[in-house]
Amino acid sequence: MNDRLTVAALTVVAALTAFFAPWASFNRETAARGAVTLLPNRTIDFTGRTDAVDVPQLAVVAVLLAALYTVLLVASFLPKPTRHIAWLAGGVALIASTFYGLGVHAAAYDAARTTEVRSVLEEALAEPSARTDVAGLESLLERFDTQTLEATRLDALQVGVRIRRLPYADGAPGLAAFMAIVTGGLAVLFGLQVFRRGARAVQALADRIAVPLTAIMLALAAAAVVILVLQPTPLGNDVQLANWREALAGRLDTLFYAYWTLFSGSLGTFEGFTEALKFATPLIFTGLGVGFGFQAGLFNIGAPGQMAIGALFAMLAGIYLPGPGWLVLPLAVAAAALGGAVWGAIPGFLKARFGANEVINTILMNFIASSLLLFILSSSPVFAASALRILTWLGVSLLVLIALLFIPRVRTLLTARPRASAAGVMGILLVIMTVAGWPRAGDGPVTVNLPFKAAGSEPKSVPLQETARLPQLPQLFGVDPATMVGSTEATFNLAAWLAVLTAGLAFVLLGRFARARAWWARLLASVAGGAAVFGVLALAGLTAMPVTVPPSNLNAGFLIAIAAAVFMHVFLQRTKWGYELRAAGQSPGAAEYGGVNLKRNTVLAMAMSGGFAGLSATHYVLGGALEDFSLRVSLPTSDGFDGIAVALLGANNPLGIVLSAFLFGVLKNGGSTLNITFTDLTRDVVNMVLALVVLFIAARGFLPERLTDPIKRAAWRRNKSASQDGEGEEGDA
Amino acid sequence: MTFDTMILIGLLASILRATTPLLLAALGGLFSERSGVVNIALEGIMVFGALGAAVTAQLIERPYLAENPNASVWFAPWVGVLAAMVVGGFIGWIHAVVSIRYKADQIISATAINLMSIGIPAVILTGLYDNSTTSARIENRLPQWGVEGFTFSPLVYLAFILVPVSWYVLFRTPFGLRLRSVGEHPEAADSVGIDVRRMRYYGVVISGVLAGLGGAFLSIGNLNQFVAEMAGGRGYIALAALIFGKWTPWGALGATLLFGAFEAIGTLLGGGQLLPPSLVTAVPFILTMLVLAGFVGRAIPPKAIGKAFDK
Repeated sequence: MNDRLTVAALTVVAALTAFFAPWASFNRETAARGAVTLLPNRTIDFTGRTDAVDVPQLAVVAVLLAALYTVLLVASFLPKPTRHIAWLAGGVALIASTFYGLGVHAAAYDAARTTEVRSVLEEALAEPSARTDVAGLESLLERFDTQTLEATRLDALQVGVRIRRLPYADGAPGLAAFMAIVTGGLAVLFGLQVFRRGARAVQALADRIAVPLTAIMLALAAAAVVILVLQPTPLGNDVQLANWREALAGRLDTLFYAYWTLFSGSLGTFEGFTEALKFATPLIFTGLGVGFGFQAGLFNIGAPGQMAIGALFAMLAGIYLPGPGWLVLPLAVAAAALGGAVWGAIPGFLKARFGANEVINTILMNFIASSLLLFILSSSPVFAASALRILTWLGVSLLVLIALLFIPRVRTLLTARPRASAAGVMGILLVIMTVAGWPRAGDGPVTVNLPFKAAGSEPKSVPLQETARLPQLPQLFGVDPATMVGSTEATFNLAAWLAVLTAGLAFVLLGRFARARAWWARLLASVAGGAAVFGVLALAGLTAMPVTVPPSNLNAGFLIAIAAAVFMHVFLQRTKWGYELRAAGQSPGAAEYGGVNLKRNTVLAMAMSGGFAGLSATHYVLGGALEDFSLRVSLPTSDGFDGIAVALLGANNPLGIVLSAFLFGVLKNGGSTLNITFTDLTRDVVNMVLALVVLFIAARGFLPERLTDPIKRAAWRRNKSASQDGEGEEGDA
Repeated sequence: MTFDTMILIGLLASILRATTPLLLAALGGLFSERSGVVNIALEGIMVFGALGAAVTAQLIERPYLAENPNASVWFAPWVGVLAAMVVGGFIGWIHAVVSIRYKADQIISATAINLMSIGIPAVILTGLYDNSTTSARIENRLPQWGVEGFTFSPLVYLAFILVPVSWYVLFRTPFGLRLRSVGEHPEAADSVGIDVRRMRYYGVVISGVLAGLGGAFLSIGNLNQFVAEMAGGRGYIALAALIFGKWTPWGALGATLLFGAFEAIGTLLGGGQLLPPSLVTAVPFILTMLVLAGFVGRAIPPKAIGKAFDK
């Protein structure tokens, strides 16, 4: 990226927004109506009933901003060391002034809010109505400064003074302040190039995130157009916009507040954060599945189907497996992976054996899986007797066939001439089906009752047994979520967690610094280390540390997702099989020449890819994310398609996938808030953003090749450093 | 006419109706894939075509119906068909720009379009009708042509006429020769002065127009409104039919007739108490997979398919 152009352009845009766009908003009411403050000191009220407060310091902020933007812009045209120093200093000053400006704005409105509440109470005291508890009101006014305004409002209700909502509530920064922070941050980042190390780090970071960042920015920009078209500026009754500047400020405020709503819910509060993680969990699984396929050179669009079958397997295991929880739970998790793996392995096998395209087959299998799920969960399906006989015999014959394939002699016989044997098997199956399906006397419709179906017309299964349920996150801290209201005191076994952490860290570090050791010696050493840590901490009494646990619906499926990501990294980067898979993905011909069995690899890669997608059932079924720990038809299999976006944005590597899944989790969580907050916007906007991200990542060819192609990047960097060594300075970034 | 013949004629008619969208999309895919660009975006393009047709027809007839609720606005659906072609062509053009100009992986680019066909119609429908899954009903549908009891939408006739037309264009005209040559051996085509990228743009945009027509048949030929996800996998089945038909118009016709028959028979089975309807919907997909696994091995795709042309 050309940093001079970027900073200059951004500075100009930011300077324009500083003049035209809202600096901060306040008094946000229902349906997103609010009032905004513009620099230097101007208030536009969209609600029709907000009294403005004068904030004289904002004039100072306006002057500061104008000066700093000029500095940044001029610096962009200066030679190298001066430029970077000016950016660094200017950027820091810009951020500081912005926070100062937001601070004085918030302080002014806080003061106004306090004054107003107090004056309402004092008025009520001066002219008490019949309902007023005068003594209570007096004591409330006495302790006015010692408690929060919200508490005062509730207390006032007790003594007969009704304040519906706090005045000037729900303030937020505006677009102008946001742009100032973004510009300042970028200037600081590029300014860091004044240090030699900083230059390299910034360059590496910029190269790495240029593609995903551009894609997200473009997608959000496209969404901005949609938001502006769909959502008119929310106005109170009888509010007229006086001129085009007010109208423009209204549009910019609507847009910025929509994005604020999208992101702030998840990033601003702990509950929102865990909610976003909850949305992200299944996306991590499906993203890992799709990304794993890509790494092996296969495009697995079948994640939705693999999710459904994984959920089906997990449900069956969770309902029927007998035994204690420590045994049933891991088996149920394994069942989820197995279900997805089976559904993924079928198109893998068809590709390896018959050359059938995995893209089309995985898509077709999505439709089959969703039909199957509906059939299994819908209440009491009705068959014609002969159709049921055909299906039964077909199933039995297929099982027999699979069993026969395990006998080596039969397998060689069948695989010697695959097409002839396929035709033969088809023929035999047809004969069996015809015989079984021939109408008999007394055939009538048969109603099939599957035992795991819940009673009633709703298509869902019975709830899982207790032993097969994953704990919710608070439960891991020893809190029963059912009894939990608000934050809860609990005890936390810090010693055990730290011991596990130490052991894991020791294993990794020993591997890094003592390579010669055998893995079992490292394992033994790290377990011993972990035990020692546990012993010491247990003596210090840290096995039962009191903690406060905030409420959260996040279940242990999230931890499994993180573990799956780590597993994928280790498998692909540290094992022979992973190496073969990647080789087959990048250059099948070379890999085959090197002795890789491509066909076996295709089946393995598709099975594992499906397994990752199937594991999403740990969240939806075993984790109870679909209410009361049962499988429902409402299982959101579209997460499987979103996994494609997640994998592409995360560049198919596990860390990238976890991060981009989190981003999409934030967006999805924000999408539900958007539904509630705005009258004309729905969460579909978020789905659109997801699709556009994929489109723009696919179209990354418009960016310079060194950003999109790691090999060309290396070549470019070599050339650049060579030319710099030759000519000394001034080979610009 | 006996009862059995009536059922048989009814079945034949519903086979032809089920075949039409598949055939239109498969012919579209033919033009794109023969020029060397894989087009799994057919599904998404059909959705956008269906949306374009329904929304345009509805918006055109709305002012007339507001005046007189029984007004006959005969041209509304025809403009809708035109809109479906334009929208389809436009979406095809996006696929072309991303995969030809920016050399994106063609499957990823098409997947993006298919993902867009989930999110964007919902946004548009919310803006127009305050409802994220269906459009308003359209009062003026396309006419039905034919003899009593055996009538079809004009798009059905068009689809079947387009088979020989596509064959002639692809195999008997200079344009078709060029289109096929850039799909087989772009370097050779380039060396004799054929603009490879332009030919590929033509192929992909034509495929978008045809798939858009297929979408129009779904929303205003067969039904009278747009419903979310109304393509229901037909774009993918059309693609499978194209492969099964070995990338020729007549082969595509045969394959789509077969898949259309699967669908029609499936619907017939679902009507009686033979199989539960949820299983019946899976039947065409299972059969498609069997067909692909059993016969495709011998089909030879265009040589340069799926590869970006790097001059």
